[in-house]
Amino acid sequence: MNTGDELFRNEYAIRRSDLVAYAHAGGDHNPIHLDDEAARAAGLPGVIAHGMYTMGLAARAVAEWAGTPDRITDLTARFAKPVVVPADGAATVIVVGTVRKIAESGDIDITMTVTCGSDKVLAPARATVTA
Amino acid sequence: MLNQGYVGHSLPATDPVEITVDAVAAFCEALGQSGGQGVPATFLISVTLPAADALINDPEFGLDFSRVLHREQKFTYRRPLKIGDVVTCTVTVESIKVVAGNELLTLRNEVHDADGSAVASVTTTLFVAAEPAEDTA
Repeated sequence: MNTGDELFRNEYAIRRSDLVAYAHAGGDHNPIHLDDEAARAAGLPGVIAHGMYTMGLAARAVAEWAGTPDRITDLTARFAKPVVVPADGAATVIVVGTVRKIAESGDIDITMTVTCGSDKVLAPARATVTA
Repeated sequence: MLNQGYVGHSLPATDPVEITVDAVAAFCEALGQSGGQGVPATFLISVTLPAADALINDPEFGLDFSRVLHREQKFTYRRPLKIGDVVTCTVTVESIKVVAGNELLTLRNEVHDADGSAVASVTTTLFVAAEPAEDTA
């Protein structure tokens, strides 16, 4: 394994029903994730995914590659652009993980490129996975 | 504007919260993820977000949650979180930065287990939009 190697590339669909389930499970009931009118009142084009939903997918991709979430010691993201989720159908998010650095201990720093259409929605996003 | 006097201020530790199999399963299901493989790295947000309620509801602090967007998030684990863990959270207002009239509020959440050992540090940065200008027309 070398710096720059691609470790995983996963595609996820986000539907409004996922956001409803996440609002309950994650305890974030901000209406901009559930209701178009509330989202527009906040200056958004429509309902957007929770930033933590998108970050959750990035963490899922790392955990599935690593075999368990227990190997993730660090996880960081900046929410750069919103993921607009249509009323019908789904938004598609693509998570690509590449090797940023390998420590002497064997710990692996991963950079994730997380996109929706042409937008980088998490930038930067990084994870550290123990050896 | 937020009360800068709160920088460095910590809330008392929360009541203990148990990491239950049901809560983790619901979280995994919402993310389309099969459960049973451990606790997702972002699950702690469901515990740390409510831990800041006392601050959000404190009129002296001045946070209007309707103007808030999540800007950055960081999790640092000292050890993996496990189902059955009982944790407490201590929230500290780490910084308040003013950027072009908007504010960036960083809250640090130290998560400890029932033995008092550190489990994780969870840092949340919120973007607080400037209050709309008064209509003087």
